Amino acid sequence: MPEIEGSPGSSMHGVTGRESVMAFSVASPMVHTDRTAKFALPVDSEHKATVFKLFSFANPHMRTFHLSWISFFTTFISTFAAAPLVPIIRDNLNLTKSDIGNAGVASVSGSIFSRLVMGAVCDLLGPRYGCAFLIMLSAPTVFCMSFVSDASGYIAVRFMIGFSLATFVSCQYWMSTMFNSKIIGLVNGTAAGWGNMGGGATQLLMPVLFEIIKKAGATPFTAWRIAFFIPGWFNVIMGILVLTLGQDLPDGNLGTLQKKGDVAKDKFSKVLWYAVTNYRTWIFVLLYGYSMGVELTIDNVIAEYFYDRFDLKLHLAGIIAACFGMANLLARPFGGFTSDYMAKRFGMRGRLWNLWLLQTAGGLFCLCLGLVDSLTLAITFMMLFSVGAQAACGATFGIIPFISRRSLGIISGMTGAGGNFGSGLTQLIFFANASFSTEKGLTYMGIMIMIVTIPVSFVHFPQWGSMFFPPSQDIVKGSEEHYYVSEWTDEEKQKGMHQASLKFAENSRSERGGKVASAPTPPQNTPNRV
Amino acid sequence: MKSFVLKISLILFFLSKTTKGDVLFSSLPRSLFVVASAMEGQVLKAGEDDITVTFGLNQTLTNQTDGSYKKAKVKLCYAPVSQVDRKWRKTNDNLKKDKTCQFTIYNKPYERNVKGFKWNIEKDLPTATYFVRSYVYNDADEEIAYGQTTNGKKSDNLFKIQGISGRHVSIDIASVCFSVFALLSLFGFFFIEKRQSKVKS
Repeated sequence: MPEIEGSPGSSMHGVTGRESVMAFSVASPMVHTDRTAKFALPVDSEHKATVFKLFSFANPHMRTFHLSWISFFTTFISTFAAAPLVPIIRDNLNLTKSDIGNAGVASVSGSIFSRLVMGAVCDLLGPRYGCAFLIMLSAPTVFCMSFVSDASGYIAVRFMIGFSLATFVSCQYWMSTMFNSKIIGLVNGTAAGWGNMGGGATQLLMPVLFEIIKKAGATPFTAWRIAFFIPGWFNVIMGILVLTLGQDLPDGNLGTLQKKGDVAKDKFSKVLWYAVTNYRTWIFVLLYGYSMGVELTIDNVIAEYFYDRFDLKLHLAGIIAACFGMANLLARPFGGFTSDYMAKRFGMRGRLWNLWLLQTAGGLFCLCLGLVDSLTLAITFMMLFSVGAQAACGATFGIIPFISRRSLGIISGMTGAGGNFGSGLTQLIFFANASFSTEKGLTYMGIMIMIVTIPVSFVHFPQWGSMFFPPSQDIVKGSEEHYYVSEWTDEEKQKGMHQASLKFAENSRSERGGKVASAPTPPQNTPNRV
Repeated sequence: MKSFVLKISLILFFLSKTTKGDVLFSSLPRSLFVVASAMEGQVLKAGEDDITVTFGLNQTLTNQTDGSYKKAKVKLCYAPVSQVDRKWRKTNDNLKKDKTCQFTIYNKPYERNVKGFKWNIEKDLPTATYFVRSYVYNDADEEIAYGQTTNGKKSDNLFKIQGISGRHVSIDIASVCFSVFALLSLFGFFFIEKRQSKVKS
């Protein structure tokens, strides 16, 4: 069997639509519980937890969860720490609007590459060292802010700090080694959403630190530099905690993990080919750039916007900006929930419409945000925009697992990188330019979101249809099996490599919506929420 | 006739603006004179140097009445070259929205002639090119007249202030120490664990 159960990006929770979306435990009798193992949580035969106890820190499973999401949260804090302090930094370093915009682009560009590389690093060193290496190596880059004295230094340091956003990959990878594939979707989704909140928390944290350090006697141009030591230390502390308290596998053995991984791997070139030649992949890469991407963009520009346009004090602008990122706590799971809900009645077509509605609504509210003059209206539209964009992120990953069974991991990774790319591009076009005011930039970004979301109507599954077209009536071409098994050559099929895809196809029949014959809940995997 | 209509409409326009409470800079008479110690092209250092300003009612102009002048402020203002590509320093004719002059260096009840008050250039002043402007206010705290060290186009008699870098040797050293600690911890753990696993096997 080439497919490793629970390998990163292979989870399919929610596939049949029959499982309760907010499942906290595996109820299926098909998952064998290992009663001989002595862990705090019930585990399966691989010693992966079958239960998700949110407020426990039990070693190793829940401890891993908390170490993982907090590390990811910390890198978000470090990457966007400069954003709420820009009104001070721009005077200290004599920055122009272009400099500030370019730094924003730089801060999200680094992780386009680091996220793609991180998967291989986790394979080589294990997720514990992958996470620890990244977070500890990026701590010096955060401390480097104290040396910055001009625009080029500022842009360079923000670029280097941005590499640390690849902890997302180590986070998801690590959970896959610790949690059973039936609950991995919820676990990964919670971890990703809570990690993203760091982008909001930093808008609150940094101005407060700045004010405290100023009150302690430092001048503003020194105080912001000292403030950066705190995110730097968060990196170091989390790195040490991950190294001392974490372990790669439930049984703690790194060597075994590497051996298992080598045996059961598919050919990378093949997996890449099927990802890249599927047009749907590219549509979602583009789309995620305008849901996740705009979220990252807003993390970079919104505090400065409220400070300048509405003449607010720095920490007040920070509080408002924080609300945007913190909405991730609920907004992102909400998007996944609505996707599953729509799928129950309308199948995949419902999921596609759901995504289009959420993302377009987000774009509309972004447009309004740029147009309004009053503070109350601006905050209202910002919050509505945050829900739209973040729910769209959750909804995107309700669909991605169905694009391909064989190449799910790579497609998830490419989509994630697409998010960062979209953010960099948007900041370059709309927010690094002297010709647009920030409010105009927001309005144009809203329009762009709405235009870019239109291609979701082109996503057509022969077996389920698309937004405007019904599924194919052809008996062969309109079957789930045909779609998923077409990713394997006859040779591979002879070796039996396509069995997992067949199983998946059978269980994905629920994406037809309406009253579908109930398929048995498979020992399958859940969507890897990015 | 035409010029009369133009004048009346202009007056009405400005009146409408002032009755709304929005004072326009273009409506203010330049009835004050301002002289600053900073010369054309001079570079002053924040936190070290100071500026001496002398300002007051311009006696050489006729028909000047200063009965309504209640308060006077002197401000440090950005020259156009420091406003390029920086919308947060933009000049707006509506003084409520104007961001040209962000630093107030004198704020006291009006006196006809203020000779040479000294102001220490504070450490939070950014590196930029400046000029000095003074405003006088009426009872309702609205600007009613101004004076400045430069000409109408703001191209003459501008001086530079060099802001502090904000860097300190102690911060630099702390930064290096913490970075080294992070790297040592990471590689230390890594090699110790590798050695331990070799010992075990």
